[in-house]
Amino acid sequence: MRRLLGVIVCVALLVGWLGLPGDGGSISAARAPQAQEIRIAGQFGLVYAPLVVAQKHKIFEKYGLKPIWKEYGSGAAVREALVSGEVDVGFMGIPPFLIGWDKGCPWKAAVGFCVVPVGLVTNNPAIKSLKDFKPDDRIALPSPGSVQHILLAMQAERELGSATAFEKHIVAMPHPDAAAALISRKGIVAHFTTPPYIFEELSHPDMHLVVDDVTCFGQPFSFNVGVATTRFHDGNPVAYACFVMAISEAMAWININKKEAAVLLAPEFGLTLEKTYRYLTWPGMDYTTAPYGLMGFADFMQKAGYIKSVPRSLSDIAWENLVAFVGDRAGEPSPIQQLQFRH
Amino acid sequence: MTGSRRLVTAHTRTLRQALFVTALAGIWELVARAGRLPALLFPPFSDVAVALATETASGEILGRLGFSLALVGVGLSLAVLSAVLVTAAAMSARIVSEWAQTLMAILHPLPGIAVLPIVILWLGTGYRSIAAVIWFAAVWPLVANLHTGLRSVPATQIEVGRNLGLRGLHLVAQVLIPGAFPHILSGMRVAWARAWQALVAAEMVFGASGGEGGMGWFIYKRRFFMEIPGVFAGMIVIVLIGLIVERVLFESVEARTVRRWGMTQE
Repeated sequence: MRRLLGVIVCVALLVGWLGLPGDGGSISAARAPQAQEIRIAGQFGLVYAPLVVAQKHKIFEKYGLKPIWKEYGSGAAVREALVSGEVDVGFMGIPPFLIGWDKGCPWKAAVGFCVVPVGLVTNNPAIKSLKDFKPDDRIALPSPGSVQHILLAMQAERELGSATAFEKHIVAMPHPDAAAALISRKGIVAHFTTPPYIFEELSHPDMHLVVDDVTCFGQPFSFNVGVATTRFHDGNPVAYACFVMAISEAMAWININKKEAAVLLAPEFGLTLEKTYRYLTWPGMDYTTAPYGLMGFADFMQKAGYIKSVPRSLSDIAWENLVAFVGDRAGEPSPIQQLQFRH
Repeated sequence: MTGSRRLVTAHTRTLRQALFVTALAGIWELVARAGRLPALLFPPFSDVAVALATETASGEILGRLGFSLALVGVGLSLAVLSAVLVTAAAMSARIVSEWAQTLMAILHPLPGIAVLPIVILWLGTGYRSIAAVIWFAAVWPLVANLHTGLRSVPATQIEVGRNLGLRGLHLVAQVLIPGAFPHILSGMRVAWARAWQALVAAEMVFGASGGEGGMGWFIYKRRFFMEIPGVFAGMIVIVLIGLIVERVLFESVEARTVRRWGMTQE
């Protein structure tokens, strides 16, 4: 009898907890005095150079923010950190961002982050296009649902008429492992990769590019975007604005001071100064907060079945600063509006 | 009489367990539906059931499962084969037995998944590496149990066998193996459990690929597309297979062998 009572109490407690109104409001109220704290999820690589600059130059501090830096291994991991409330803002490719949006993640894009050369590199001289891959040939990319995966699907649709033609070829591997495997010819014949790995791989005389990102997508696109949760954006508008400015300032500094940036970044990436500078100034590298291709990815991913719905307009997936940035030209869409779509 | 009573208690036990699991699923549904937790992270049980049904209907789960089971089959067979060879050598020479015990002491605590980075370096990515990890995870408990099992067969039984004229393989097959069977069976149980865990873990770390992926890859892919009900569905399938092998396969073998021979206390 006493035992039964215990069970009843437990159930009652559970039901009570479920029935209580949410305490989200009181939590954010309690945190209000420390609203300046911002938890930022980045990843590793040359792409994230502006975050390193912001960190080293204490740019967030200048805007009154107290940044807490966290590093994750993939866009999906950044997404999970944002969803679980571990971080306020995070950087990831447009596809992982859209997959989250499609599933109902409460967030929008806050800044574009970079346009960088991405491409499919092979160690097999016989492979000139996607048609030359044999059924046993394996293609490494960071993960399913990554930018690289979607680009491969885009090109597969163009060349072979089926976006899913390479689903059985893909191997999920982190970039450093895949680069090592490609160069030592262990297991994989191609790697869909990003800077600096793409530069390293293409420096080898027996490696070549099968297809580049612009060919896959049709035009340049943001490789990464900065994403802010609704909770952060609505709860701390000042901190949100400061975040956008701090990222802009870090990026502008790299663009204006490439030599100094190389000096700052070389030890971070374990590269020589000369190599870092060469990579920062590699044709195609562009650190910019302008968004490119947000809607184009959504259209393709929905048609290929990777997401269920497409945004009705940019404002569904982008915060007001980006919406204002892109504008909405009466009549024909403006060039910057056109850049959001694939043509 | 005792047999039927045992059957009845087994049935009520299964019934009670089924009731408990149903209640858990009910609480899960209730907690998820109450909306206190983000549905993205904690989908209702009904969504998981729907995902399980659609993924099964599409053939995706069956195909992945077939691949996983085949891999475990290969890895486990190799592990049994090598365990038999090692034990045979250990039984024939005391020094080999000591070596085997030392090796076991060193390598048994190492989880199969911990050797994956080295295995990938040596064998590349793909099914061979995963089979190797499974082999590594399963071989040590097998060797340990075979070894202790054979050593635990009473000398008198072996002598009786000899007196009856059994020699060599006949002696092994008719006295040693039946005598060591409880140990062999528990070795197989541990080996299976470790192999199954190693397989899923290995596929989810970086041996995973679209063409050669089993249930681990299934979960991995669902995670990257944020299909959380699908992730749960994959976990349920993995649990179900574990349960089926344990409850159906091992328990029926046990009932037909060691229990019928009266070698257990139960």
